[in-house]
Amino acid sequence: MIIWPILSAIGRTLWLPGADGVSRFSLETYVFFFSDQYSINNLMVTLWTTGVCALLLLPICLPIALYLRFAKGRLAAYVQGLAIFPMFVPSIILSYAIIRVLGPNGTVDLLFNSVGLPKIRSPYLTPWGPVIGLVWDNIPLTVLILLSGLGAVSDQSVEAARDVGARRWAVLWHIILPRITNSILVAISFTVLGIFSAFTLPYVLGPAAPEMMGPFMQRTFRDLNDPTNAITQAVISFAFCIVFGLFYVRSVAKNRKT
Amino acid sequence: MKRRAFLLSAGGAAAGMVLLPQLARAEAGRIDWYTGSDQNILDFWTNIVQPKFEAANPGITLNLVDAGDNAGLQAIGDRAVAAMASSADPQADIFESFDPRLPKGAIEAGLYVNIKEAGLSNYSKINPLAFDGDYSVPYRGSQVLLAYDTTKLDPANAPKTFADLIAWIKANPGQFIYNRPDKGGSGGNFVRRAIYEVNGNDTSKFTVDNYSAEAADAALKPAWDLLMDLAPSLFDGGAYTAGNTPSLQLLSQSAVTMIPAWSDQALQAISTGVLPETTGLVQLSDLGLPGGFSRSVILANGVNKDAALKLADFLLTEEIQSAVLTELGGFPGVAWDYVSPELRDKYKDVIPTTIPVFPGGDWEKAINDGWYRNVAPNVVRE
Repeated sequence: MIIWPILSAIGRTLWLPGADGVSRFSLETYVFFFSDQYSINNLMVTLWTTGVCALLLLPICLPIALYLRFAKGRLAAYVQGLAIFPMFVPSIILSYAIIRVLGPNGTVDLLFNSVGLPKIRSPYLTPWGPVIGLVWDNIPLTVLILLSGLGAVSDQSVEAARDVGARRWAVLWHIILPRITNSILVAISFTVLGIFSAFTLPYVLGPAAPEMMGPFMQRTFRDLNDPTNAITQAVISFAFCIVFGLFYVRSVAKNRKT
Repeated sequence: MKRRAFLLSAGGAAAGMVLLPQLARAEAGRIDWYTGSDQNILDFWTNIVQPKFEAANPGITLNLVDAGDNAGLQAIGDRAVAAMASSADPQADIFESFDPRLPKGAIEAGLYVNIKEAGLSNYSKINPLAFDGDYSVPYRGSQVLLAYDTTKLDPANAPKTFADLIAWIKANPGQFIYNRPDKGGSGGNFVRRAIYEVNGNDTSKFTVDNYSAEAADAALKPAWDLLMDLAPSLFDGGAYTAGNTPSLQLLSQSAVTMIPAWSDQALQAISTGVLPETTGLVQLSDLGLPGGFSRSVILANGVNKDAALKLADFLLTEEIQSAVLTELGGFPGVAWDYVSPELRDKYKDVIPTTIPVFPGGDWEKAINDGWYRNVAPNVVRE
């Protein structure tokens, strides 16, 4: 069910129908993609967005997950609610909300203005627009995966380390992090896969060019009526995603063994 | 055994439901009406046209059917052609907005009623700009125009020609934005107006079937140069919104002073308060921004052809045409002399003198991709 469309897509981009109706083997759509500066820019901005989002997600989500793992009480419940909330917000609503809040003359501008601060340079319609949206959108998934990893860290081991005089950072570095490396890998590969193929947020919040692969593929397919090139772009995106997918598979396999 | 019985009856019921629509027959006195337009059009018909028409014509009812999109209408058109060949009932009487040139050869085959010869009492009121052949009834229109903030720009100084507009944008950097041409008609038609501009405003230069790669290169290249030259003066040094609505949002947040907008969307936004009362609308007078009319077609072999003609005539009455303006935010299909004077006065700035219509097809592809490759990038943004 999953493998067949992939194989068929690869096949359809390599064996193009010739003028005489006989299909022939050709790499030309791939050659076109990699010789076309416009397409390369789109791929680059997709990789950049994905990378930046992944880099931002970890330092944001790890403290939240740690807090939720070890804190108890009312406040922790509120934090958890806030952290999981983005999961239930459709991205199209999120996009327009971000325009309202962070867009030009948005809420942030109004607040800044009321205390006499200058306007912010709005991220709307720049590559940073989708980054902010995607990070917010991916917080719940990352936090949940990290939390499940932190569940494997027993209270006793943390307390034992404290008893022998380990400081906070030492506990984090020597006790907690080694146990959740797998979760971190899984979280990163999951979010990266999601971000790579993101559509709505880059479509509404991003700049007109370069486009991310999602909107680019859709435009090539629908506006330009050019399925062959759209599939080529899809195969290339898939090739990048499979690398992250392999990370995930490997860490799961390693888990099984131990 | 029970499970099997259940499966059988469920399967039978499902098969019955598939067969059911096939058994439905067109009823005399019930006009089968189809649309491929957006929800706001269907709402307009459900809430305004249907009750008014049925009240005025006892004994005739309207069956409003959403065909989804233009492709859906075309499928029903194909069915009607097939029905005509076998003298069967097409189960359709009127299409809300459709091009009678489709399906190919339909006019020659006599599928559509010749409206000009049908003797509609209101036919003479139709705006001469709105006609597109004799086989359709133009009853509403929409055109792209410029929407601007009158608190920042005095209406007396609003640009009236494309050259004025360019000069204004350059003199007020960051105050204008249009959307990507493939993502919405307001930006798309602004780009097309720029293409007309560099081709001497000669609208006859572009037709559906005169596209060629060389012609496109020659006609579009200067437009890309013009738009690229404009880019640094746009909002945020060359940003383009992703649709008609985000442009309206930027105007409503007062982030820009002027945008191109669809007349019906702008009028509706003003009446619902999305845009403030102080929003001004202006159309260019040298050559308007492109737009188009929606034209209904009536099927000649429909069971309720005569009732459908009555409906078409009813559409052109002042009552419905005023509602097109006030409720739908569109342009009337009739000439402005047949609209009530106070409405005419209220909308005088948006009354079009010309409505250029840019052809679709291959031109559209060339314009969209050309814009993305030439205008959208190559901008150094700080």
